[in-house]
Amino acid sequence: MRRFKPAEAALSLGVLALGLGVAGVTATLPSEGGYSGIGPNFIPGVVGAGIVVLGLWLSYEAFAGGWRNAPPDDARARGEHEFNAAAFGWITAGLFAHMALIGWAGFVIAGIALFACIARAFGSLRVARDLGFGLVLSLGVFVFFVKLLNVNLPAGWLAPILGTAGI
Amino acid sequence: MEAFDALMAGFGVALKPINLLWGFIGVTLGTFIGVLPGVGPALTVAMLLPLTAKLDPTGALIMFAGIYYGAMFGGSTTTILLNTPGESASIATALEGNRMAKNGRAGPALATAAIGSFVAGSIATALLTLLAPVVVDLALKFGPAEYFSLMVFAFITVSAVLGASTVRGLTSLFLGLFFGLIGIDSQTGQPRFAFGVAELLDGVDVVVLAVGLFAVGEALYVAAYQSRLTETIETVKGSVMMSLEDWKRSWPAWLRATAIGFPFGTIPAGGAEIPTFLSYAAEKKLSRHPEEFGHGAIEGVAGPEAANNASATGVLVPLLTLGIPTSATAAILLGAFQNYGLQPGPQLFQAQSELVWGLIASLYVGNVILLILNLPLIGIWVKVLSIPKDILYAGILVFATLGAYSLHQSWVDLLTLYVFGLLGFAMRRWDIPVGPAVIGLILGPLAETQFRRALAISQGDPTVFFTQPISATFLAITAALVVVPWVVRKWRSRDSSV
Repeated sequence: MRRFKPAEAALSLGVLALGLGVAGVTATLPSEGGYSGIGPNFIPGVVGAGIVVLGLWLSYEAFAGGWRNAPPDDARARGEHEFNAAAFGWITAGLFAHMALIGWAGFVIAGIALFACIARAFGSLRVARDLGFGLVLSLGVFVFFVKLLNVNLPAGWLAPILGTAGI
Repeated sequence: MEAFDALMAGFGVALKPINLLWGFIGVTLGTFIGVLPGVGPALTVAMLLPLTAKLDPTGALIMFAGIYYGAMFGGSTTTILLNTPGESASIATALEGNRMAKNGRAGPALATAAIGSFVAGSIATALLTLLAPVVVDLALKFGPAEYFSLMVFAFITVSAVLGASTVRGLTSLFLGLFFGLIGIDSQTGQPRFAFGVAELLDGVDVVVLAVGLFAVGEALYVAAYQSRLTETIETVKGSVMMSLEDWKRSWPAWLRATAIGFPFGTIPAGGAEIPTFLSYAAEKKLSRHPEEFGHGAIEGVAGPEAANNASATGVLVPLLTLGIPTSATAAILLGAFQNYGLQPGPQLFQAQSELVWGLIASLYVGNVILLILNLPLIGIWVKVLSIPKDILYAGILVFATLGAYSLHQSWVDLLTLYVFGLLGFAMRRWDIPVGPAVIGLILGPLAETQFRRALAISQGDPTVFFTQPISATFLAITAALVVVPWVVRKWRSRDSSV
């Protein structure tokens, strides 16, 4: 019995859409090529066409019984547990909090927030410990990279304590 | 003898105290991350790539190479003590190594893996020393058409020939090729697929792609599907000394595995998975104790672990002599060279002889350091294994975001990192290989340049790829690799249906 796999179908159609998008943008690129006779639009055209073909191929497999040799959909058959949406969400939240905080509050504070959220995603309920570890690691990394290697990282709110980036 | 002199000069470079220190840092870090589940050499080198702006090229490349093969040593510790299916290249070791650990023989299992890695790594480095000048002489005859055809060959073998699915391998490759197109065209200055975003005009950096796929994608996947599982770590009881019997059974396996692993590394065959399985199968067949296989046979650890290291060293042959990366880690190492404006290939052996031979000499030195690090000090690495997962992944992501952010000091790179993380999650869940995407990103722009150069030389005549004999040969082999297995499959299915 051939079954239709929605997730695989969605991914396949996504690949197809990307290919069409690449082809569409390629059509707006200039084609003058000098001696070689091909311009900056030639390879993008080839890549776009390739992605379209692969999207069609993946879609065919997804609609005709599922991708070949794909891992089983049943998590237990893969030796794993069911999809844990909270864990996925905590990682996403941590990365976005970090993104928002880094330029404004600085590297160390963004790092603490990120560390605590990721640890939470992996099931840790010891918030104080995670914040503490996050502080020690972020501060250590900041001092090592900024003071020793002279990499430019934002000090943010802690600038009065840490000094400005650089030497 | 020219190569011998060059190698001796290389030892002069590799044994300088500062380079010894970088090599030591590299192999120590490599062993450390090899032991850590979820962190591989590709990720580590990618995270450290922004440091290239601050370090001298010889020291930095020696350190990166140290991370690369140090991780091969460290990985076996994890596989033996922690029965994770883990990466595909260590499944063979997991079969026997974890059994040995359960039977209280973790010590000899770790010892045969470490000594086998040392023996295989050293022999493979010697083969690299002998083979590199030969390939360089050949490669000096290559023009743009030959390079382009060689790159096509590499693209197809790493994505379409091996692995679970041809179409998913090719999809990964083409995604990488597309990411490689984003930014300013190097030949005409035309912006492509950047949509006016300043961060995209610079192109997709390999740091963001690799760290997104390997760190963020891995963290999302493990958190979502594995974070609530419990694992058992086997303890190392008794001594790590191997008995005389263990030695007798191990050394032929090490040598056979080197002979299998090295050639597989040098051709673009998509990593260490195949040679480790071939070595395991060979040992099982040749063993005088076949009944022990599946219950902790030492040959089953000695062979695959040696094959693993021999093939990792073999990968450096096409990388250094031709500039062709055949694994994700090799592609990122190529990125490190590019950050210094260096392009690996025959010209590099002439223009930067000290650097290249210093790097090769550092492999010999590094193997010795690794043997010392991994045998007497094994107790330290076992402790690393007990770092809890929540702390481990939180730490990984602090470093991952640091690597991406330090490129432009911009949150846009962090957003791109998360998008690649989602992609990495999907690729892991639906078994789309990530290696071809990284190779496509790095090698794609080089292939486009060679393609356009070849056509410029031929005044736009596209037959140049088929009329030049070397180029035509590469394309013919590529076509055969795609067509022959397909025809054979059709043939078999027709036979069985009649």
